Amino acid sequence: MPLSRKLNLTLAALSLSVASGVFAASAQADTLRVGMSGGYFPFTFVEQDELKGFEVDVMNAVGEITGDDIEFVTASFSGLAGMLESGRIDTIANQITITPEREAKYVFTSPYVYDGAQVVVRAGNDTIEGVEDLSGKSVAVNLGSNYEQLLREQPNADEIDIRTYESNIEQDVALGRVEAFVMDRVSATQVIKEKGLPLELAGQPFSTIENALPFRDDEAGREQRDRVDTALSELRENGELREISEKWFNTDITQP
Amino acid sequence: MLNLEYMWGLLPVLLRYLPLTLQMATIAMFFALILACLLAVVRVSKVPFLNGFSLLFISFFRGTPLLVQLFLFYYGLPQLISALISITGVTAAVLGLTLHFSAYMAESIRAAIVGIDRSQTEAALSIGMTQSQLMRRIILPQATRVATPTLMNYFIDMIKATSLAFTLGVTELMGATQKEAAGSFLYLEAFLLVALIYWAIVEVLSWGQRRLEIYLNKAYQR
Repeated sequence: MPLSRKLNLTLAALSLSVASGVFAASAQADTLRVGMSGGYFPFTFVEQDELKGFEVDVMNAVGEITGDDIEFVTASFSGLAGMLESGRIDTIANQITITPEREAKYVFTSPYVYDGAQVVVRAGNDTIEGVEDLSGKSVAVNLGSNYEQLLREQPNADEIDIRTYESNIEQDVALGRVEAFVMDRVSATQVIKEKGLPLELAGQPFSTIENALPFRDDEAGREQRDRVDTALSELRENGELREISEKWFNTDITQP
Repeated sequence: MLNLEYMWGLLPVLLRYLPLTLQMATIAMFFALILACLLAVVRVSKVPFLNGFSLLFISFFRGTPLLVQLFLFYYGLPQLISALISITGVTAAVLGLTLHFSAYMAESIRAAIVGIDRSQTEAALSIGMTQSQLMRRIILPQATRVATPTLMNYFIDMIKATSLAFTLGVTELMGATQKEAAGSFLYLEAFLLVALIYWAIVEVLSWGQRRLEIYLNKAYQR
């Protein structure tokens, strides 16, 4: 059977049998498709099949202002950049940090979260009190995140045993399988407070990071970026951005 | 200790994603079987040109990881062929599973065909059967019996391989579990539950396989 015919059959069989929701991902002017991992507490996570979190609230508030339908698409973090590039989503709301490499490729809104990279260890581990103590230690970071690169920029980078994970880095440090993980300070604090895992912050954050929404660097992408950026400014001015932050973090992480 | 209440509450949530997982695996298995039979017959009969294509196809799809193939089709190729952007994650996952597993299954079907005793072929040809009649009436029915256990193995493997679809943005059983675990941080409970669900599906299938084998073995019973 020729490949194209088989593909057609596959498509036909699928459209008959699979729920229509899966196929709703077509590009429409008034639909903003927002990608996120659904696995980054408390920014984006799922409870009883309901997608929740800071990012979800912010994007819904943006949609209220711009009039766009916000359509959330969840995928493994490592798949999100591919989805953005191949045009299957319009932006990623997953605490994407602005870096020069990413700026060369995407257009960003202005930052809506200011944060720092934080070393986290298992509770009671006194041997690590900051990034300078990580020499000779194993450190977990999420695959595709920029913390790996931040670590590699440290003077003692060559001595750090960096391990990239697809997910569940908190669990592996709590289990003692790796000695530390690096994440943004805000969600690390939140994870420790809310989830009762035996973890603690090690010293102060070692780098400031600014998070924003990336869009494709083409005409449509820039147009969407401008629209969302205006909405973000409005949310900042009317205090709604601060309110959302205080709801999830009891503090305002949206200011430098 | 185990938070059983959480697991009990999570069970109906995860079961909502079971149909999608089973649909992807079943559709992919259906097409993979057809494709694998064609590839195997081409290989056994050494059809000119097509035989070379089969060899190359099997070599590539057995020789590269499924995850690489999925990323290649879903994220890579659309950069060259823009029409491919309209492929959904589900279609890409089914396509990837089909192509990947058909390569393995083709080899196991080929082995079953080659394993049928030569006397069967000679007997069929001696009473004037054509090559195609020989295949359809004599060889394939016998080869089916031999190939069934290994093909079921691949189907079981395929059901579990659907968990890779979450990398393509398809929330199936495993993707749903990962997101729920991220919200509750009850990893042991969430992953234990999903393991039990997969295990239960495979047990049901194994039961079906035993029934099928009994049926296929009828002619050989004394």
